[in-house]
Amino acid sequence: MAEVNKKEEQPRIGVFVCHCGTNIAGSVNIQDVMDYAKTLPNVAVSDEYQYMCSTPGQGKIADAIKEHNLTGIVVAACSPRLHEPTFRNATKAGGLNPFRFEMANIREQNSWVHMHQPEEATEKAKDAVRIAVAKASKLEDLYPKSVPVEKTAMVVGGGVGGMQAALDLADAGIKTYLVEKTPTIGGRMSQLDKTFPTLDCSQCILTPKMVDVFRNENIELLTYTEVEEVAGYIGNFDVTLRKKARGVITPDEAEAKGIVGGGCTGCGDCVAVCPVIKPNPFELGMAPRKAIYVYHPQVVPLIYTVDFDSCVKCGLCVEACGDKKAIDLEMEDELMTVKVGTVVLATGYEIFPIEKKFEWGYKNFDNVITSLEFERLICASGPTGGKLIRPSDGDKPKKVAFVLCAGSRDTTGIGKPYCSRFCCMYSLKHAHQIIEKMPGAIPYIFYMDIRSFGKMYEEFYYRIQDEGAKFIRGRVANITEDPETKNLYVHAEDTLLGRPVDLEVDMVVLAAAIQPTAETEKTRRLFGVSCSQDGWLLEAHPKLNPCGTTTAGVYLAGVCQGPKDIPDTVAQAEGAASAASIPIHKGEVELEPYFAQCIEEKCAGCGLCVPQCPYSALALVEKDGRTVMQVTEAKCKGCGTCGGFCPGGAIWMQHFATPQIVAQIDAFLLGGEQ
Amino acid sequence: MARSKNYQDPKLEEKLKDRKYYATDSNPDFLKEVEKIGQTIAHMCYQCGTCTGSCPSAPRSSYRIRLFMRKAVLGLEEEALTDPDLWLCTTCYSCTDRCPRDIAPTDVIMAMRNLAAKRDIVPRNFLQTVQLIYKSGHGVPNNDVNRAARVKLGLEAEPETTHKYPEYIPGIQKIIDHYELKAKADRLVAQGE
Ligand SMILES: Cc1cc2nc3c(=O)[nH]c(=O)nc-3n(C[C@H](O)[C@H](O)[C@H](O)COP(=O)(O)OP(=O)(O)OC[C@H]3O[C@@H](n4cnc5c(N)ncnc54)[C@H](O)[C@@H]3O)c2cc1C
Ligand code: SF4
Ligand code: SF4
Ligand code: SF4
Ligand code: SF4
Repeated sequence: MAEVNKKEEQPRIGVFVCHCGTNIAGSVNIQDVMDYAKTLPNVAVSDEYQYMCSTPGQGKIADAIKEHNLTGIVVAACSPRLHEPTFRNATKAGGLNPFRFEMANIREQNSWVHMHQPEEATEKAKDAVRIAVAKASKLEDLYPKSVPVEKTAMVVGGGVGGMQAALDLADAGIKTYLVEKTPTIGGRMSQLDKTFPTLDCSQCILTPKMVDVFRNENIELLTYTEVEEVAGYIGNFDVTLRKKARGVITPDEAEAKGIVGGGCTGCGDCVAVCPVIKPNPFELGMAPRKAIYVYHPQVVPLIYTVDFDSCVKCGLCVEACGDKKAIDLEMEDELMTVKVGTVVLATGYEIFPIEKKFEWGYKNFDNVITSLEFERLICASGPTGGKLIRPSDGDKPKKVAFVLCAGSRDTTGIGKPYCSRFCCMYSLKHAHQIIEKMPGAIPYIFYMDIRSFGKMYEEFYYRIQDEGAKFIRGRVANITEDPETKNLYVHAEDTLLGRPVDLEVDMVVLAAAIQPTAETEKTRRLFGVSCSQDGWLLEAHPKLNPCGTTTAGVYLAGVCQGPKDIPDTVAQAEGAASAASIPIHKGEVELEPYFAQCIEEKCAGCGLCVPQCPYSALALVEKDGRTVMQVTEAKCKGCGTCGGFCPGGAIWMQHFATPQIVAQIDAFLLGGEQ
Repeated sequence: MARSKNYQDPKLEEKLKDRKYYATDSNPDFLKEVEKIGQTIAHMCYQCGTCTGSCPSAPRSSYRIRLFMRKAVLGLEEEALTDPDLWLCTTCYSCTDRCPRDIAPTDVIMAMRNLAAKRDIVPRNFLQTVQLIYKSGHGVPNNDVNRAARVKLGLEAEPETTHKYPEYIPGIQKIIDHYELKAKADRLVAQGE
């Protein structure tokens, strides 16, 4: 515990003002601020430099500490989020405790917003420096707490991103729980037919990975399972999972129950007898399934699932299953809690409900479909055995229009402002598939820009144009239908000709925008992760920390962080797995020492603070015959709720202590006078 | 500015005139003015063509709303304001309904018409409409064919407008006079004769 009643020492503060090139110096008068700092109480030295974060800049800090025997450092520069760690290290290099450092933000909160008010900006910078000096004069030595890290990880979401992250973690020797909410892993990629730009069969490259996941000894696969609750912090997350009642047990579970040779073998005898018919969501409702079902033949694990929402409990399946005794129609959800050190979120995406753009007639006109439906229709294992047919009459379409940016790059409020990033490429792929499978059929691609930015993507575009796809540069204004023939008329402007087009086609495929899944909001709140304006999970830094989040120990992989294709998803998953394995391999993590502390002499043991803490970090204990409050430091997030609350002032918030904050307020209000 | 070829024959000069776009052709204030009058973010147009594709005028004429958007963005004031196509918009607002950038192209057209009118560039039929409204309160006044049709449908011959209540016409005239629109229309029509 930090010394609360410190011996009075005369503070000696060093102030360093950064130019940040012209970022700060462009509007703030650095010399003025530096001269002003010299006049402040307790300031022993003040200096400036072009780039304080550079090696020479940091050197100045370390040297000044030794030369002037400083007790605290103030750097007036950018945001602490950017360089607080840098300057703490410099402070430490000079021989001071790194928490004897205080930052004054005169860039983000000053020069950048007051670019055209140099005088006011300079005055504001002086205020910021004065306040920081006041705090620095009262800073104390603090020591981060190390906590051990649980040697297990969790991946949430079993699409290609989650699977890759789990495989990498497992191969790095870390026991990994892979939590998938549907009955099978595979995600969206298992719904695809081929994949651009190489046109490999999606299932052929995915299935081996799914099987690897299933076989890997370090992976505990939990399908049909959802995250219910999360407690704890990096290194020590307690995650409560809900294993949804599947109605079917695995051979392992059967063995545990003493049913010899029992459990689901995936034979499918039950399906034949089940009387309930429902649309199969995997086939986007274009094929039926029974109340006991698998999504498709390659599911992993190959275990059937009972949909209790539609099951009538007739028991026919139980009979059909016979001695395997795999089906339990009375099964209930189970809760289980696991402890993990780090977490990777890989929860993917869903399709924007494109019927909201009613000008394109989806769900109104039979022959307007989405690209994902196209994938299922063109796929040999899909509902039509790979025959692309018109939903209205089962005929083969001869002219097919593709509407790109359907709901993407749209700032009207009905649609998504961002580019969904893979629709250009998969629409090129779809054009190719039509030309290849259906001689004589012509794909018309209505586009604004073809975004073929990836490796071999522009070459793919070249190839599809060469194969005969027709490109019309113009966003589709609306689609109308001939009620007799169910043919469609696509209205747009060919902007390169400068003429309106009215194209009669047999089928329209909407490259619908994608969006975060409906549960993303819930998942992100459970793990304390932020999201950007558009709802995608927010990375810690868009360039320098794209896999991390602002919550220590939680990482992101795949589309849940923003639209990306399979190569980018897999790359990010490998990055996230690597990042998630670092704390585990280190074995311990340091927590910022911003904990609450009980000043036992002042604590009345009333316990009123205990229920205030949102993180359950406080408890009453007996000590030397008295009841006093005690903080579990690893649980405390330093939010300050208790510190502000304690009626006796017995709670000391390290680094944000009352005298420190009061000194800052005084410095601001009294303008440096005592 | 377009360079002259100095052909002696004016026909040839017109035929072979320099059609390049020069930076000096642009008046950046034009975009600002259009946006101020139209109260819409014309500069955000990304030329997708949804507007022209939605426009009922486009298939029947050379009018391309997207091109007017382009001219606004580039500040091509002369070209935009002197183009007779400017007056072919029906103000149906289909383009405004569908523009993915949430721009109101209709209001861009209206702004440009305002600016053109300030320079006395207004087609004759529009001026006559002003005169008709001044006189009757209607751009398209009732006529005998309509009256007969109305009676046949069991309606009164005159609708519930200034046609039935001509006492309100002076109010309308007051508004039009406030903007000196009638005087302008009269002057321009007379000039054209
Ligand atoms: C029509 C179409 C065609 C495409 N074609 C191609 C192509 O040819 N090439 C290419 O590179 N890319 C293509 N893509 C993109 C590709 O689908 C994605 O890049 C890829 O699926 C992203 O993988 P992911 O793991 O991030 O997400 P997903 O595949 O969406 O997987 C997410 C998984 O997480 C699970 N999950 C979600 N929420 C939770 C939760 N709360 N708890 C537990 N589990 C959860 C989901 O059930 C799912 O299994 C295409 C996309 C579409 C729409
Ligand atoms: S990837 Fe292409 S089709 Fe998809 S939103 Fe971006 S530009 Fe539009
Ligand atoms: S500072 Fe916040 S998290 Fe820490 S003990 Fe007090 S209330 Fe709990
Ligand atoms: S619809 Fe909007 S963005 Fe598209 S060309 Fe017209 S004005 Fe521009
Ligand atoms: S408002 Fe004018 S420009 Fe827009 S669609 Fe209608 S007629 Fe065309």
